Amino acid sequence: MTNRLDRWADPPLLVLASLADEPRHGYAITQDVAETMGVRLSAGTLYAVIARLEAQGLIEPLDAVDRRRPYRITMAGAEALAQQSSRMRQVASLAQARLSVRYGLTGA
Amino acid sequence: MSVPPPGSGETGPDHIEHQESAGRLARAALLLYPRAWRARYGEEIFTLLEDTGGGMRAVFSLAWHAVPAWIWPPRHLHDRDDRMRASLGTVLLAWSALVGISLVFVQLTQFQGYRPAGHPIIGWCYAVIDAAVAVSALSAAAGGLPLWLLMLRRARREHRLRDTFYLLLPVLAPASYLAALAATSRLVSHPNGFSGLQFLGVTIAGFVAAAVACAGPILALSRLRPRGPAVHVAARCAGVAAGSIAIAAAASAIAAVGLSLWAREFAGYHQVAQVGGYLAVVAIGIVAATVGATRGLRSTLARPGR
Repeated sequence: MTNRLDRWADPPLLVLASLADEPRHGYAITQDVAETMGVRLSAGTLYAVIARLEAQGLIEPLDAVDRRRPYRITMAGAEALAQQSSRMRQVASLAQARLSVRYGLTGA
Repeated sequence: MSVPPPGSGETGPDHIEHQESAGRLARAALLLYPRAWRARYGEEIFTLLEDTGGGMRAVFSLAWHAVPAWIWPPRHLHDRDDRMRASLGTVLLAWSALVGISLVFVQLTQFQGYRPAGHPIIGWCYAVIDAAVAVSALSAAAGGLPLWLLMLRRARREHRLRDTFYLLLPVLAPASYLAALAATSRLVSHPNGFSGLQFLGVTIAGFVAAAVACAGPILALSRLRPRGPAVHVAARCAGVAAGSIAIAAAASAIAAVGLSLWAREFAGYHQVAQVGGYLAVVAIGIVAATVGATRGLRSTLARPGR
């Protein structure tokens, strides 16, 4: 079933999270995001995000290998991802605590 | 680095043919992006499409994201002169359309000698239209002529016949139109001039001539890729020209609504469909002109390297 809150799966965050593991090129990012986070990034979305993140200095391109250019997360990108993850963790903890008390749901 | 094996799943002939067709469409969708964007990411996307097989989702996604790529290009792809040239083309087209619309409006109202008694708003609108069109034409000439002359000189110096022809289209197309109009008007024996249908035909032909006249400099801008002060001045003047023609068009829209409300006996302004269609066309023209001009002005104000 499609979750109605899937909009919260912000593509820039997904790409940063994918690159936090290791440098990846476009196809490898889409595969990793699909396998680990269950979101399929289309070509247009992916490269719109890559262009923005690169412009903001959150990721940087490496030398192309066989026409595939890998990207690496920068220190600024890692810090931004850490901050956003922390905020998301706070929201998740708060939501789970309140759901548990009021509805007995654990969100598992 | 992990690189999963590309391309998997169905491999039947129909599926392959479908994928190839979608891949071609996706490559065509890439043409919708700005030149700098394609130069930077085009090859990578081609490779990604080869790996994933493209598909209609990729086509729609690429086409959809081309819009923000034009409106908010990433800073590292921000070619100021390229952006100014693109905005000049957009403004020229929208400006010509709005000037044409304003002239048709003036022909159908002011030139008929109509001044509704007791409704000064319409009269004020007429005055605003006259002044704004004059300011707009002067701004367009002030910014466009130096750039046009610069490109024409370069095209002639470098013996670029095609570009010279493109640059002469703003002269040739209106001159041909006016000559054809003069010849046609002699053949019309109607005592009150053109009939309604003939006027419509003349108007459509006028818009076609204007479009051809605009296409010439737009193509020349794209091929000659001029840079420097002339482009900056043209972009600034285009901002003034677009702003003032937008005011003229807005005034004509107010006047058209006023005529439909207060002068129902006059011409066809009481017909809601006609007025609604006119307002829609004017709104599209104003949005295109102002967005294009704003992009150009922002490029002139941007710091180098941004």
